[in-house]
Amino acid sequence: MTAPLAAYEAIVGSSAVAQLRRLGEKLAGLRVVHVNATRERGGVAEILECMVPLMRDVGIDATWEVVHGDPRFFDISRAIRNGLQGRRVDLSKKDWRIYHDVSEKNAGRMRALLEEADFVIIHDPQPAGLLKYCPNRKGRWLWRAHIDISRSYRPVWKVLRTLVEKYDASIFSMPEFAQPLPHPQFLVPPSIDPLSEKNRELDPAELSGTRAEYGCDPERPLLVQVSRFDRSKDPIGVIEAYRLVRKVTPVQLVLAGSWAADDPEGKAVLEELLEAAQRDPDIHVVLLPSGAHKTINALQRLADIVLQKSTREGFGLTVTEALWKGKPVIGGDVGGIRLQVVNHHTGFLVNTPEGAAHRIRYLLHHRERIREMGNEAKEFVRDNFLPARHLREYLTLFLAIRSGKEERTLQV
Amino acid sequence: MTPFEVKDCALLLRMSGLPPALNLRELLDRISVCGENVLYHHFCETTLRPTFDDPDYRNDFAVWAKLYLGDRVLAERLGIVDPYAFGTMGELRAAVLDIIDDRLGELTMVPWVRPGDEFHFKEATTVIFDTGERIRSPRALAPAILGMTNGSIYYHFLEALRRPPVGKDDFSAWLLEAGDDFAPCIHALEAIDFHFHSLPHLRKELARVLAAGEEMR
Repeated sequence: MTAPLAAYEAIVGSSAVAQLRRLGEKLAGLRVVHVNATRERGGVAEILECMVPLMRDVGIDATWEVVHGDPRFFDISRAIRNGLQGRRVDLSKKDWRIYHDVSEKNAGRMRALLEEADFVIIHDPQPAGLLKYCPNRKGRWLWRAHIDISRSYRPVWKVLRTLVEKYDASIFSMPEFAQPLPHPQFLVPPSIDPLSEKNRELDPAELSGTRAEYGCDPERPLLVQVSRFDRSKDPIGVIEAYRLVRKVTPVQLVLAGSWAADDPEGKAVLEELLEAAQRDPDIHVVLLPSGAHKTINALQRLADIVLQKSTREGFGLTVTEALWKGKPVIGGDVGGIRLQVVNHHTGFLVNTPEGAAHRIRYLLHHRERIREMGNEAKEFVRDNFLPARHLREYLTLFLAIRSGKEERTLQV
Repeated sequence: MTPFEVKDCALLLRMSGLPPALNLRELLDRISVCGENVLYHHFCETTLRPTFDDPDYRNDFAVWAKLYLGDRVLAERLGIVDPYAFGTMGELRAAVLDIIDDRLGELTMVPWVRPGDEFHFKEATTVIFDTGERIRSPRALAPAILGMTNGSIYYHFLEALRRPPVGKDDFSAWLLEAGDDFAPCIHALEAIDFHFHSLPHLRKELARVLAAGEEMR
């Protein structure tokens, strides 16, 4: 259940909410359609679950649609997504034909809604093919890339680019994630919902329940990394860092994450982690089922320090979640982690297990810094990565595009 | 006196379309051809973006020189550039190009950054709107400022400096209407070295100096 804008007032302040309502008044009745791949799981669905009701609350006629397809289509679109993120994938002409056929069928199902909308926001590559099959578009179509496509596998990008370049504009989370395109490229970072199950405040009983469930000792510091079991998240490096710290300080480590069934590398990583955990009772490997939001929330809140030692990362919303819970984050010096983790303010950026171990030891030695940095981290997220800021940027985007002006300032 | 109309603004960022700069020579070349809005953004609008670099340098070029090129000399020279001290963006551009060109002349090698640390040229549209709030007496200004958004603080105190009357923030311009009585407040506002304030800090500082100015009247 998503809360309307008023529920955020206690978190972001009344002036920020009033600002959104003012902007919303200028756009009253605007028809906006978001389209993505699924309502069920993943960061995009979490954002839309929060954003669509908020848009409606400020007066926009916002709707959320998802593309329908058979398992083969979703395998292909997952491969496209992996290719855009740099993985070498083989997509045949037949695969692309299936992608287009499903796009055409979906366009047929949604055509009236999409062609009448003032703004259509297509999230990620799965629904990107819809535009081609909506020739009588009245509004503006925006392609919202949530992933880092800067080092995409070229054969995939070359095909997708032919679809994306027809859009009126694209939106990226960071400049580093973008590709050259022949239309305006806006920059809008994502956000987390502080009222969701993954981020809401938890009471002490809920926290102690999770602690007991995973056998963590309340007397010793806890390090936590929540991420997919994937080499790019470097969980093995996290264990190395833990072991270096363990030589001088008794700490515990929780590695919590999920594993994609179609990822053989992930299976190997998980096996290595489980083996490491078998040999050390203070390493807890937690295989999270889909929708384990409360467990993630509790583990992040129980942590003394949160790690996100990725060697490659998108925006890194798990970092945002940890910062919001007042935890300093020791993160890899990559992707969106660099935007969020600022040395000595919200945590530390590191490049090696040794670097991570050094910063963990520093923080455990200066316990007051954990609290200070955690407080600063929370305020940083409050100002920059909550839905209020995200909604404001969508509203300004609609106003700016609708005006058709290119001046530096726009009076509305 | 006329009521003070409280405006608010929000920044919409976009890529400038220029290729990113991988080294100091490319930075020079790109700055020499970039649009004025690009220059304005990297010098003047940084306070509206999430960053913790405000205690060091306010402009993105200085931050990049320090953090990624590793050239602290250049960072110091760029960091002290006050964009509001130049009458036009063209003059600012010439000054920045001079600094970078001088530095290139001093170096035996052109400094490069590693892939991923490129300088990305951005620009922004500032969407301005009336909040509907009005401040009717100078005495109400300080408490009203404490309730303003970062966007309002930016618009009335920083963005205003480049609007006619150039070099004058909106609060001072309004207080001038009240006559000499409020001269201490205006002087106090002028004395704020805003380069070292984030917008939340600037809000508190504005309210503080106005309250102190009131006491001096």
